[in-house]
Amino acid sequence: MKRNQILTIGSIVLLFLFIGYANGHLNAYYIRILNNTAIFLMFAASYNLINGVTGQFSLEPNGFAAIGAYTAAILTLTPAQKEAMFIITPMVPWLQHIHMSFFPALIVAGIVTAMVGFILGFPVFRVRGDYLAIVTLGFGLTIRVVSNNTMSITNGPLGLKGIANYTNLWWSWGFAIAAMIVIMRLINSEFGRAMKAIRDDEDAAIAMGINTFKIKMIAFVTSAFFEGIAGGLLAHLITTISPTLFTFFLTFNLLIIIVIGGLGSMTGTAIATVLVVWGSEWLRIVEQPMHIFSLTIPGIPGMRMVIFSILLIIIMIFAREGIMGQKEFSWDSLFKLFKTKKVANK
Amino acid sequence: MNTVLKCNKMTMRFGGLTAVNEFSVEIPEKEIFGLIGPNGAGKTTVFNMITGNLQPTSGMIYFYDKPIVGLKPYQIVSLGMARTFQNIRLFTNLSVLENVLTGFHHKLKYNLFDTILRMPKFSKNEKIMVDMAMELLESVNLKDKADFKASELPYGDRRKVEIARALATGPKMLLLDEPAAGMNPQETLSLMYFIEEIREKFDLTVLLIEHDMKFVMSLCKRIAVLDHGVKIAEGKPEEVQKNPDVIRAYLGDINA
Amino acid sequence: MNLTIVLQQLFNGLALGSLYGLIAIGYTMVYGVIRLINFAHGDIMMVGTYVAILSGSALFLPWWAAFIFTILATALVGVLIDKVAYKPLRNASRISSLITAIGVSFFLENLFLVIFGGVPKAFPVPAVFSGVLHEGGVILPVISIFVPLVALVFLAILMYILRNTKYGIAMRALSLDMETTRLMGANVDAIISFVFAIGSALAAAGGIFWALKYPSINPLMGIMPGLKAFAAAVLGGIGSVPGAALGGFIIGIIEVLAVAIFPPLAGYKDAFAFLLLIFVLLFKPTGIMGEDLERGRF
Repeated sequence: MKRNQILTIGSIVLLFLFIGYANGHLNAYYIRILNNTAIFLMFAASYNLINGVTGQFSLEPNGFAAIGAYTAAILTLTPAQKEAMFIITPMVPWLQHIHMSFFPALIVAGIVTAMVGFILGFPVFRVRGDYLAIVTLGFGLTIRVVSNNTMSITNGPLGLKGIANYTNLWWSWGFAIAAMIVIMRLINSEFGRAMKAIRDDEDAAIAMGINTFKIKMIAFVTSAFFEGIAGGLLAHLITTISPTLFTFFLTFNLLIIIVIGGLGSMTGTAIATVLVVWGSEWLRIVEQPMHIFSLTIPGIPGMRMVIFSILLIIIMIFAREGIMGQKEFSWDSLFKLFKTKKVANK
Repeated sequence: MNTVLKCNKMTMRFGGLTAVNEFSVEIPEKEIFGLIGPNGAGKTTVFNMITGNLQPTSGMIYFYDKPIVGLKPYQIVSLGMARTFQNIRLFTNLSVLENVLTGFHHKLKYNLFDTILRMPKFSKNEKIMVDMAMELLESVNLKDKADFKASELPYGDRRKVEIARALATGPKMLLLDEPAAGMNPQETLSLMYFIEEIREKFDLTVLLIEHDMKFVMSLCKRIAVLDHGVKIAEGKPEEVQKNPDVIRAYLGDINA
Repeated sequence: MNLTIVLQQLFNGLALGSLYGLIAIGYTMVYGVIRLINFAHGDIMMVGTYVAILSGSALFLPWWAAFIFTILATALVGVLIDKVAYKPLRNASRISSLITAIGVSFFLENLFLVIFGGVPKAFPVPAVFSGVLHEGGVILPVISIFVPLVALVFLAILMYILRNTKYGIAMRALSLDMETTRLMGANVDAIISFVFAIGSALAAAGGIFWALKYPSINPLMGIMPGLKAFAAAVLGGIGSVPGAALGGFIIGIIEVLAVAIFPPLAGYKDAFAFLLLIFVLLFKPTGIMGEDLERGRF
């Protein structure tokens, strides 16, 4: 027990030592990928909580990322910046004058997104059926319609520019690790057992006295909270946001990650996040022109997404368990592996 | 003796179809009561109304004199009523221990903040719950299989886990939906002793639906017979067996 | 607002609503038999419009032949999608099939983006459909009269098939209990293929009329109508075919009338169906004509 805790804390310390090193020594391109990895890890772990652990298929991340990004950005932009940016319709006064530093702005972004999650979850979780997926998909499309039209809040299609570049490796990895710890602790408790029970057999879960509405809501609102913060981190990494930025592609990427990692496995999610974020950087090649000897093959824009969707279908049909299935990596199993290897060597 | 469950003219209509018509019954404390009837007689509908999965179209249900119509299923569980399913429904990806632990859910003593901050309250209560679950597993002779995945168990053991899980909710009354379904005569016999044993040990009142006539006749003190949604007989097994209405309704089924 | 304008808007709403209805029928039928929200359904409609363009420009078919070809070819696409992507997952958990359905949807959208590019294509409208009627101050495009009529004819044929043919009855039995239907000797796979064929054929018809009404098509055009048609299916009561058609009409009319009465809402018109979906789930989750398909079966 104690040994495992020490090992876990030790690994986290090592990770942050590496981040400290990366901050000073790696170039901007790699630092950006490392930031992306952390933000995607936060998104994917939250997304897996509702989809994999609780078994409620949902398509919320792009919509919730938008809410979090806009909330955080509006809060950190200075009143002067906002006045200069809202040229067509002035911003509503109470938002115009509000101003916060980065950390509280992120927390507020998380809370606002969690509230949106509650409002969406309420009608859906009262009834049985797969409505969560279609409601969250609809929400992702609707949020774009709304943010395009609420000129006095979001600046419409013009978007928000000049958001301070606050997100660095400390913030992104700090939040990602914190989210992982909270989610893992939630899973390893009676709440987590109830979530998995609902996933395995909802009727039986009800018969055990589990208030399924409440448990699904806890999972979904927790996901929303962290996705909101991740959206805020993203906004302060790319510094310019507009309604067209948060497309379904984000959600689709996360879906691939949690499916590859294993629906319900957080450590699997972490492994898959690294694979997918780095792999899709690599896949950019297919969209660029290729020169093989004297032959030039023109790049095919959009090909990555075709490949991703075929990949997803193939995994679902042939390798539904992903890398980890529903299992988690544990130090015990690692030690067991070593032991059996030693025995085998003898 | 106290009446545990009282159904008063309970009726369920689906569209134009009357599945159960004015069903009334009173079950006193510590009795093992059987509900039998041919296929499609409405037995499971009666079950689902009592457990709150269906809302009766009309009629009343009292559990220890408290009306329970309109309560949510999970609320009825916390009043002390637990059930099992005809086609055993365990949480297949959870371990045997975790399955039993879910039974304590409605009495959970820690909240989300205790969980996330890993307060002493969390660890203390997790330990208490695990100890209680292990004790329950011991009483059904499955302690050594606590870490098995539920889907890895043989059929007879699964039924026991399902009952242990129901017992974990701390029931005063246990509803068993065809507990002997799919079991061979030997397993059925040992299940019979098992039910009698846990009833003694946990002071339970038991209501069970069953197809296996021998099982019901030897286990239950009293029986009600349902046919086409109507109760056609009630009484001691030997009385019910001789009732001409019952014989007519069951002919064919009883020989099977 | 005077009566003629109301009448005119009502007709527009009816036309739009019948398009939603045609698409919604496919959602509701597939959900009825295999409990799957076929996210790719809106995209199948999009595929239909591209097939229509190609069968005119590449196969040089006259418009009526192109339409028939399109409907048949799209039905085949629907059946193929089921065979390749959904059938292997029939016994897997529901979430697996839902994820696959999203994968298929995203695949179709991006495949067509890669092949045809994101630039909208003009849809050639045959002269028969491009006329406008002037009747007592009401100005009506011919297509707006034509669409509801054809939709009703399709609905009548479909209802006849469902009520009176062996396939239709087997289909309804299947939606109640797949295992028993299989045991009764019905060819379950053939019935499911038939459902996908009919649903996709109606989506193709909807797509063609959509393109005749709004003659500019692009690979992402199926997303919004798909979402609204799903809302229509839930509003009508998911699993119910006449319910889906009715739900489509209601959503179409609400969308058109709301914008006509409150012009400032025009920008939000794509959000109405979504709000309606939420309201239905809140207050009448079984929809107008639906039964509770999700009631726990023990």
